[in-house]
Amino acid sequence: MLQQRVITWLDERLDLSDVKHFIAEKGVPVHTQKVWYYLGGMTLFLLGIQVATGILLLLYYRPSAEEAYESVQFIVSEVEFGWLIRNMHSWSANLLIAAAIAHMFSVVFLRAYRKPRELTWLSGIGLLFLMFGFGFSGYLLPWNELAFFATKVGTGIAGAVPVVGKFMLRFLRGGDDVTGATLSRFYALHVAVFPMLMTAFLGLHLLLVQRQGMSVPINVEKQLREGARLRQIPFVPNYVLRDVLLWYVALAILAALAALSPWELGRKADPFAPVPAGIRPEWYFLAMFYTLKLIPSHVLIIEGEQLGVIVFGLAAVILILLPFLDRRSSRAEPNPFVTWAGVAALIYLVVFTIVGYLTA
Amino acid sequence: MLQGGLLKPVADFADDVHRQRGFSCVDCHGGDPAATERAKAKDPARGYRGMPKGAEVIAICARCHSDAEFMHRYAPRQRVDQASEYASSVHGKRLAAGDTGVATCVSCHRNHGIRLVSDAKSPVFPTNVATTCGSCHSSPDHMKRYMGANGTPLATNQRAEYEQSVHFAAMTKRNDLSAPTCNDCHGNHGAAPPGVGNVANVCGTCHAIFQAKFEQSTHKDVFDRGCVECHNNHAVLQTSDEMLGTGPKAICSSCHADKSEYGYMAAEKMRALIETLKGTLERDGALIADVRNAGLQVSAQELALGEARNRLTLARAEIHATNPALVEPIVGEGIKILAGVHRAGDQGLAELRFRRQGLFASLGAILLVVVALALKIKQMDRGTTH
Repeated sequence: MLQQRVITWLDERLDLSDVKHFIAEKGVPVHTQKVWYYLGGMTLFLLGIQVATGILLLLYYRPSAEEAYESVQFIVSEVEFGWLIRNMHSWSANLLIAAAIAHMFSVVFLRAYRKPRELTWLSGIGLLFLMFGFGFSGYLLPWNELAFFATKVGTGIAGAVPVVGKFMLRFLRGGDDVTGATLSRFYALHVAVFPMLMTAFLGLHLLLVQRQGMSVPINVEKQLREGARLRQIPFVPNYVLRDVLLWYVALAILAALAALSPWELGRKADPFAPVPAGIRPEWYFLAMFYTLKLIPSHVLIIEGEQLGVIVFGLAAVILILLPFLDRRSSRAEPNPFVTWAGVAALIYLVVFTIVGYLTA
Repeated sequence: MLQGGLLKPVADFADDVHRQRGFSCVDCHGGDPAATERAKAKDPARGYRGMPKGAEVIAICARCHSDAEFMHRYAPRQRVDQASEYASSVHGKRLAAGDTGVATCVSCHRNHGIRLVSDAKSPVFPTNVATTCGSCHSSPDHMKRYMGANGTPLATNQRAEYEQSVHFAAMTKRNDLSAPTCNDCHGNHGAAPPGVGNVANVCGTCHAIFQAKFEQSTHKDVFDRGCVECHNNHAVLQTSDEMLGTGPKAICSSCHADKSEYGYMAAEKMRALIETLKGTLERDGALIADVRNAGLQVSAQELALGEARNRLTLARAEIHATNPALVEPIVGEGIKILAGVHRAGDQGLAELRFRRQGLFASLGAILLVVVALALKIKQMDRGTTH
């Protein structure tokens, strides 16, 4: 068999005995919560779709205010299967962020971030923030009306960050307003800076996952300590095939969405046009956007928007430091506070996203 | 303390543009403002003119408003020919003939509360002109003494008719202050009814293309009242394609009733051409909307639809030349553009079918792989769990 001959050829030259041993020994724990393990693999698969479709889009996309919209228009109307690639890129971006958020919540509820996996958590949160960055920068690239004004609002929020806000606003926009310079910056971030960081963070994240193996819930760990035996299935091929099966399902969903519900391009951005109705950011920023809208313009001595940005900044810091703040879980003790805080955060995000969508 | 009738002029004058520029009562009424006794203050020997009437009003206003040098100090861009224009108007001529019932400056601009024309509260602000003119011309009591050129009483329904017009709707509903009101057709200071021969000229100041087409028409020498024959004068209603042709609402058939006559056939032909283009435009517009709603890019086709719509507008303008041979090529261009749109629409629908078929084929293949994987996993799980 060709596959066996290739492995033998490589083995003769590189000595793959370590890798073979690792693959043969690697197992995935089987317990009642095992279904959540698949979210990581799903996120990875969708990220792969993003990279592949993103590279194909790069072949035709032109990053300037004069040509960006027309080039996307060309991709979806003239390029062979360009519509499929662009629609899959747009849909997959959203499914990817949904999968990443779900993955994060599953890690929180299973306390998988606890010692010794703090670094895996930090790299994962880094990846999640990078995905938001990809989403925010990618939204502007078609240079359409909705994206243009949503970016104005989004970068305006960045401008409310205390002390460095004005610098951040000018840095993101490449000037005082959203212009072709902003598009160039967002393009550079989207196709160069973020992918480079993503590669580093993802490499670290995957390395740590392989090195440390899958985390098991605290109650399962307790049973193990008490002498119970943990059932496992081999990673290769049993678990990998399960992953692949789900990836095929995801691919089917993506194909159906791309073919039956194409991503709208809308009208070309016109900086002099009046702001169209229904301006809203991507759904994953809606909860934050709607919350900022609800805060009064002034709260005591501080501006409402600034207060909102500070609160969200603090929430992000708490999220990043969660493994270090939750000492009980590190000692494998139950911590209902984290569960309730996680449920509250989930309810807040779902409700505010839906209400934000309906009222935008 | 001023009371009764004397109080109102003073109150009105508070908002008067002349007061804002530093003028006072004596600048129009004369007299001696320094005198403390009434008799001296109102002494004609001291220039007191009292309340001016009729031609005196014109003369008093014209002292300043016809003096270019003087007016340059206050309103350099304002015309100074109002008095001479007024003298040429029906109002001015009748006043010269001794009729003091006609409008003078103060009838339209007020006497003590004069505001700039650009002031929305001014009676001569565009949206108020019809009401101002109507205060006399819509009053049967006031107008009963005036007769038209043919000896019939003058109508008093102009304002009511104007309020049904597209011009009134444009001004009041779309806030288009450039839409015509009474003075745009009749003039303001030189107010006179447009003569029979120059109605088309008046309409043509705005509707230049229609005028140019009408000039080519055989109707030019036949229609005594030009544009008004079909479109009315004050009640210029929203036009429709039904006005053209030989149908029940068609205007053409009111003269061209004989089916064997050229005019009848021409009207029918022009209507048929318009309807063909309109129908094709509607059909292809719906086709492109379907394709767009399915998510396909149709911006090029939407531009082409706009081009075809332009041809329909041009064809509608061309009918004023009343020559089907001139309408036909324009409609032909529109139909040709729409043929391309239709082809693209059909291709779009074919593309959608291809996408759906491709999707179902892919989903079928994926389903097979998923089932095969599930079976393989089941087979492997037997005995491999440890």
